[in-house]
Amino acid sequence: MKLLPSCHDVQTDLTEYAEGTLPVSRRLGIRLHLWMCWVCAAFARGLEALPGIAKTALAPPPEAPGAATDALAQVQLALRKPPGT
Amino acid sequence: MTESPPTETELIQRAAEGDSDAFGALVTPHLSLFHNGIHRILGNTADTQDALQDALMSIHRDLPRFEGRSRFSSWGYKVCLNAALMVRRSRVRIHDMERSEFLTLGPFDDRGHHLESERLPEWQVEAQAHSLVEQQEMRECLTRALDELPDSHRIVFVLKDLEDWETDDIARHLQLSPGTVRQRLHRARVLLQARLRTHVLGGRP
Repeated sequence: MKLLPSCHDVQTDLTEYAEGTLPVSRRLGIRLHLWMCWVCAAFARGLEALPGIAKTALAPPPEAPGAATDALAQVQLALRKPPGT
Repeated sequence: MTESPPTETELIQRAAEGDSDAFGALVTPHLSLFHNGIHRILGNTADTQDALQDALMSIHRDLPRFEGRSRFSSWGYKVCLNAALMVRRSRVRIHDMERSEFLTLGPFDDRGHHLESERLPEWQVEAQAHSLVEQQEMRECLTRALDELPDSHRIVFVLKDLEDWETDDIARHLQLSPGTVRQRLHRARVLLQARLRTHVLGGRP
C-alpha cells in the first residue's frame, strides 16, 4: 500500500474522511496529503462549503408558486364536499 | 375596533373541525416551505404537486392528533417530506451512476495526481453570491444541477446536506447500507461542485 494517497485516492475518499469512517492509517494519509496539496485542499473546502451554499441558494422563495396554491385550492375544495359525493 | 386575527392554535382547532377556510389560512404561510421541501426530493413539477396534495390531505386528517409539541410548520414539513418519499418509492427510475469518474474532479496523471492544477481555482470563496441577480443565478444553477442528478443520488444529498439527516437514518429510510449512502452522497457532491464551479467560472469547464 502506498504511504501517501494520490489526488485521485484522496478525492474519492473525502466524504468518508469527513464522516470519520476511514481506518486510521488512511485518515492520516489523507490528512497529510491535504496539508501538502493545495488543489485537493481546495477541493475538500469546496465539498465542505457546498451544503451551506446549497441551503442558502435553495431556500424557499417568499411566495409559494402557483402549483402549490392550486394544490391547496384542490384540497380545500375536497374538504368542502360532503363525504361520499 | 378591529377583530384580531385568529391564532395558529385557533386555526388548527377550526381546521380540525372541518373549516376549510381555516385550513387554508393555517397552511398558506408555510406553503412555500412545504412545496420547496417536496420539490427538492422529487425534482419534478407534476410529482411535486401530487405529493403536496397528498401531504395537505394527511396534514388535515392528522390535525386532531397534532399535540403542539413542535411548531406546526415543523410538523407539517415532516409530513410533506414523508409524502415526497412515498411518491418517490412508488416511482421506478433506474439510473447508472456507479462509475468511478463521478467520484473526483480530474484530470489526473497515471499516478493519480492532478494534471494542470492551475485550472482548479478556489471557487468556493467566489461562490458566495451577493447581489439578488447573483443569488437568483446561483439558485437556478443549483436547481438545474440538482435536477440533473439521478434520483437515487439527489435524495441522499437532499436528506443529508439540505435536511441535515444523519447518515444512518437515511440508510434506514432508503434501505441502503451507510457505505452506499456515503458513496452516493460523495458522487452527488462532486457533480454539484463541478456544476457550480463551471457556473462561477462563467461556463468554462
